Amino acid sequence: MYAGAIAAMVLSAITMFLPPLIARTAIDYVIVGKQLNAPGFIRGFIQWAGGRDLLVHNLWIASLTIVAISAISGVFAYLKGRWASIASETIARRLRNRLYDHLQHLPCSYHDKVDTGDLVQRCSSDVDTIRTFLASRVVEIGRGGIMLAVALPIMLAMNAWMAFLATMLLGPIIFFSIIFFVRIKNVFKQMRQAEGSMTATLQENLTGIRVVRAFARQDFECEKFAVKNALYRDRWRRLMHIMSWFWSLSSLLCMMQVGIVLLAGGYYVSRAEMSVGTFSAFFMFVNMYLWPLRRVGRIMADLGRSVVSISRVNDILDAKREDHEDGPAIIPHMTTPIRGQIVFENVSFSYDGHREVLRDVSFHVEPGQTLAILGPSGSGKTTLIYLLLRLYDYQKGSIRLDGKELRLLDRKFIRSQIGVVLQDPFLYSKSIRDNIKLGRSTATEKEMIKAASTAHVHAAIEDFDSGYDTIVGERGVTLSGGQRQRVALARAILKDPPILILDDALSNVDTRTENLILNALKRESPSNKGQRTTLVIAHRLSTLMAADKIIVLDAGRIVQSGTHETLLNQPGLYRRLWNVQSSFDEQLGCYAEQSDRTSDNEEYPDEY
Amino acid sequence: MSTKTARLQEERYVGGLKWSVWKRMFSFLSPYKRFMVGLVLVALLQAGLEAAFPLVTRGIIDHAVQNRIHAHLLPWILMYALLSIMLCAGTWAFIRLAAVISTNVSHDIRRAGFRKLQELPFSYYDRRSVGWLITRLTSDCDRLSRFIAWSGMDFIWGVAMLLGIGAVMLYLNWRLALIVMTIIPPMAWLSLIFQKRILATSRKVRRINSNITASYSESIMGVRTTKTLVREEENLREFSSLTNDMFTSSVRNALLQSMYFPIVVSLGSVGTGLVLWRGGVEVMSALPSSMSIGTLLAFISYSGAFIGPIRELAMLLAESQNAQAAAERITGLLEITPEIKDSPEVIEAVERNTARGLPAGVAIDGREDKIETIEFRNVSFAYKQGKEVLKDFNLTVRSGQSIALVGPTGGGKTTIVNLLCRFYEPSSGQVLINGVDYRKRPLQWLQSNIGVVLQTPHLFDDTIYENIRYGNLQADDRQVEWAAKLVNAHDFIMNLENGYDTRIGEGGNKLSTGQKQLVCLARAVLADPQIFIMDEATSSVDTETEQLIQQGLMNVLKGRISFIIAHRLSTIKSADQILIIENGKIVERGTHAELIRLKGEYYDLYINQFSQERQRRIFAECFPQEQCPEP
Repeated sequence: MYAGAIAAMVLSAITMFLPPLIARTAIDYVIVGKQLNAPGFIRGFIQWAGGRDLLVHNLWIASLTIVAISAISGVFAYLKGRWASIASETIARRLRNRLYDHLQHLPCSYHDKVDTGDLVQRCSSDVDTIRTFLASRVVEIGRGGIMLAVALPIMLAMNAWMAFLATMLLGPIIFFSIIFFVRIKNVFKQMRQAEGSMTATLQENLTGIRVVRAFARQDFECEKFAVKNALYRDRWRRLMHIMSWFWSLSSLLCMMQVGIVLLAGGYYVSRAEMSVGTFSAFFMFVNMYLWPLRRVGRIMADLGRSVVSISRVNDILDAKREDHEDGPAIIPHMTTPIRGQIVFENVSFSYDGHREVLRDVSFHVEPGQTLAILGPSGSGKTTLIYLLLRLYDYQKGSIRLDGKELRLLDRKFIRSQIGVVLQDPFLYSKSIRDNIKLGRSTATEKEMIKAASTAHVHAAIEDFDSGYDTIVGERGVTLSGGQRQRVALARAILKDPPILILDDALSNVDTRTENLILNALKRESPSNKGQRTTLVIAHRLSTLMAADKIIVLDAGRIVQSGTHETLLNQPGLYRRLWNVQSSFDEQLGCYAEQSDRTSDNEEYPDEY
Repeated sequence: MSTKTARLQEERYVGGLKWSVWKRMFSFLSPYKRFMVGLVLVALLQAGLEAAFPLVTRGIIDHAVQNRIHAHLLPWILMYALLSIMLCAGTWAFIRLAAVISTNVSHDIRRAGFRKLQELPFSYYDRRSVGWLITRLTSDCDRLSRFIAWSGMDFIWGVAMLLGIGAVMLYLNWRLALIVMTIIPPMAWLSLIFQKRILATSRKVRRINSNITASYSESIMGVRTTKTLVREEENLREFSSLTNDMFTSSVRNALLQSMYFPIVVSLGSVGTGLVLWRGGVEVMSALPSSMSIGTLLAFISYSGAFIGPIRELAMLLAESQNAQAAAERITGLLEITPEIKDSPEVIEAVERNTARGLPAGVAIDGREDKIETIEFRNVSFAYKQGKEVLKDFNLTVRSGQSIALVGPTGGGKTTIVNLLCRFYEPSSGQVLINGVDYRKRPLQWLQSNIGVVLQTPHLFDDTIYENIRYGNLQADDRQVEWAAKLVNAHDFIMNLENGYDTRIGEGGNKLSTGQKQLVCLARAVLADPQIFIMDEATSSVDTETEQLIQQGLMNVLKGRISFIIAHRLSTIKSADQILIIENGKIVERGTHAELIRLKGEYYDLYINQFSQERQRRIFAECFPQEQCPEP
């Protein structure tokens, strides 16, 4: 495609130079009546057609030729633009898709390290810088170069000395332009900085408008903004003022170049050393190639930026995808669903290589069982889930799924077997229907509604103006925490996986509803196979009690494990929680009997 | 919100030139009249000079051809040099003047807009996103000022240039001039059509581009969800349909552009051809009145010179739609009159009393400064017509009392606070301060007597010191420190690397939510308000900070009227009065003990919600401070 674009560019440049030549021939040969100074075959053709006389009486032929040739040149120019844009847009599209795909396949450890804003910027504005450069700047450079390359031999053939004069100032013009744009880079940056800081102040003010009002600080804020606003104005004006020097001085240089051509041409014509037609051709040529050359500096500056952008984009593409990350052979294509047996054996894990977040964790869950995990925040509960999903890879010990080492299983296969609802679930900015159907895109409307009902969110969704078609997320309705959790749960239920993980997934749902949901989940076992294995991270006793097995995590270690009964008979967190719950009811009883005395200062009168 | 997008679409440009909008915008130009006059003069000069250039070229050629060896080219060249220098100086002045005007106009509009935003009621903010407002004051302002200064001048230049060229050509040879001018109408028509299309497609490209950016950020933020749902392939497929759209639109845009130029240039060459043909015939006719070769060459240059100005004018017309849309949005912002403002009587009272000088204990309007009672009398309120969020609400609070507002989200707690601050006014009923309707008191007096600490504490990107001082700009170091000590913030601040000079990152990222709340409390204390309002954070802070906040809060509340949207058990229990608000109504009210005995809503809430709080405490006790960070 690029080859086509280049060919079209060369042809359009060549044909562009023809009209001045034809005009010159017409003036010199036909109108003034000089010897025809043209290649033999053209002379022969004109002689054969009827010589000068024919043209004298039918000058329109020359005119028509000019129009025809410029039309042809236009076609080439169009083709050039077409192919160049298709080529650059194809590259941009490929780059965008590749980046998107790559980002999704980068390991979580990569995403933990990088800043979202920076990543987005690399994917959008850096790609755009590259695209613009390919689409227009490359073409511009090529055009300028080719124009000169075509014009130079023609001019040399017409009059060598004059050709030299006509290109005399090109060097200085290009030099000036490059120097200028290198110099101005800083001024540009300062302007952008001032703009950024002004926008930041504006944003801060608008997001904190309630604070501003509450303290009646409008005037103070206006002054603060005025400073930034004025700075931005001044920097901007400074940039423009510098630009005014560039445009006027470079114009002057260009006009000097034209002036030289005029002076020399006039001189040669007056000595009859050059024909009027040649002179006018020179004049037109100079105007054609001269003015675009002023932009060389700008193009060079853009080139610098594009190189930086390319390396920034490459930084992302060079990062290893998680499927290529490390190498033990993967058990090829597992297609049958797993039964759901999970075994952790002496698993240790650390995010940064120093501090272990999980230490020597061992437990096992049989298919169909429910395991509850209890522990304070930061104890490693969520990390445990991440390891099971192979979002991170464990460093020591062994995790087995149905007896197969997790590290040897394909990540996507594992994830397809596990449904997970996180505490702060992410919903895409799509309709609620689409969000739930992400669990299984082939599900029918009925199945989807059933999943939503199991998650106790159907009624809430129906209450929205557009029901299941309500768009959620940034560009739509903001759901409450509990609603988001329940929609995410419906999504996981619809997925119908052999293993279901609820990571504090109902923390924003009230206890009554939570129990209803859990009971409904229990009743409804997976469609095709026996019982579903469930992992629940929770703080509520009612949830914990219902589990077949409970483990208590603290600082990455399992400190207690067993059933509800066994844990109740051991001293520890679980029993204390249980005791609090029961003493709570007694305490309320006390209140009821208390007289008018308020409970005031004592914060927790019933603690141990 | 879907209603939000609908409204934004509504606010889009709808046909026709709106003179009133432009009049408002041009009023921003009036301080720069002198520059405007200069700019117009320079533009006219430029056009004249540019039209004169081919005449010089013609002069040189004719002179050289006629006088041959005896030609004196020097005067002509000097003339050329002079014109060049003038033209460049003109360019220089043109850019400078336009820069002065455009940057200043943009600055002034922004200033006016910002000032306006400080006055507008919150209902305005509720309907618009912050991003939308920022765009108004940044890109819309820039676009508009650029349009006014540059495009306006391009217009003058273009028209002058066309007229100049036309005049010169008519003077040189009117028959040939008329022939050449036949290409102007089709050229203008084509230019307009193309420029409009080009603009429309590039707008579409921009729109798709912003969708692509949004997709990227969604894919990055939701990467875990994507992985766990194994959605990689489908996501990519959806994304590629977006990039395909982008491809199609960008290529269409590029095609339109690469079609436009050749077509216009070809039209120009039709002009050249016509000149060569008819002009050549005239030159050859050898009559005494016939045309010189120089004139012919001048005509040839003129025939191409139409392209520039016509293109500029067409672009201008196309761009004017966009600019008008921007102007409309800005005037829309500037011309809103705040719904809540002081009545003329209040303004008059304030002027009268401040002029006289105020004795102690008297507010700026001459009434009593001390707030003894606040009364909500039959207050109802609806954000949207027909959807009442507060119904017939009655409440009397006396100096020194604290009120805890408890109840489900959307029940009306925040509305009560908004009404109290007079961020909104009751749809019916009254809010009385010391028995006087608060609409009869100055807004500024009321709001500067209220201290608010919000659930999501908002701090400015500045030092902690400056953030606290925001409460009272006259405060010195000692007072700031005193306030921080009062709310237990001093110790943690001193433990930071730079103490009070620690800068708070954007959004206060360096501090925990609890710490931010402490800073906000200190800020509120420094303001020394008579009424204190707090929206307690629901998110759990670590126990230690929670206790610090609690004690700090108690210190703040002493001797003030306070309203607390409460979530924490301890706060609620210590309130003088607890109001359970549901569906815009008080369902229960009383002290903690009274409400527990009642065994109603509060009792249920207590069991459900607060038992969790206790469980959290047990957690904290069982696992003291030995915590590993989650990623």
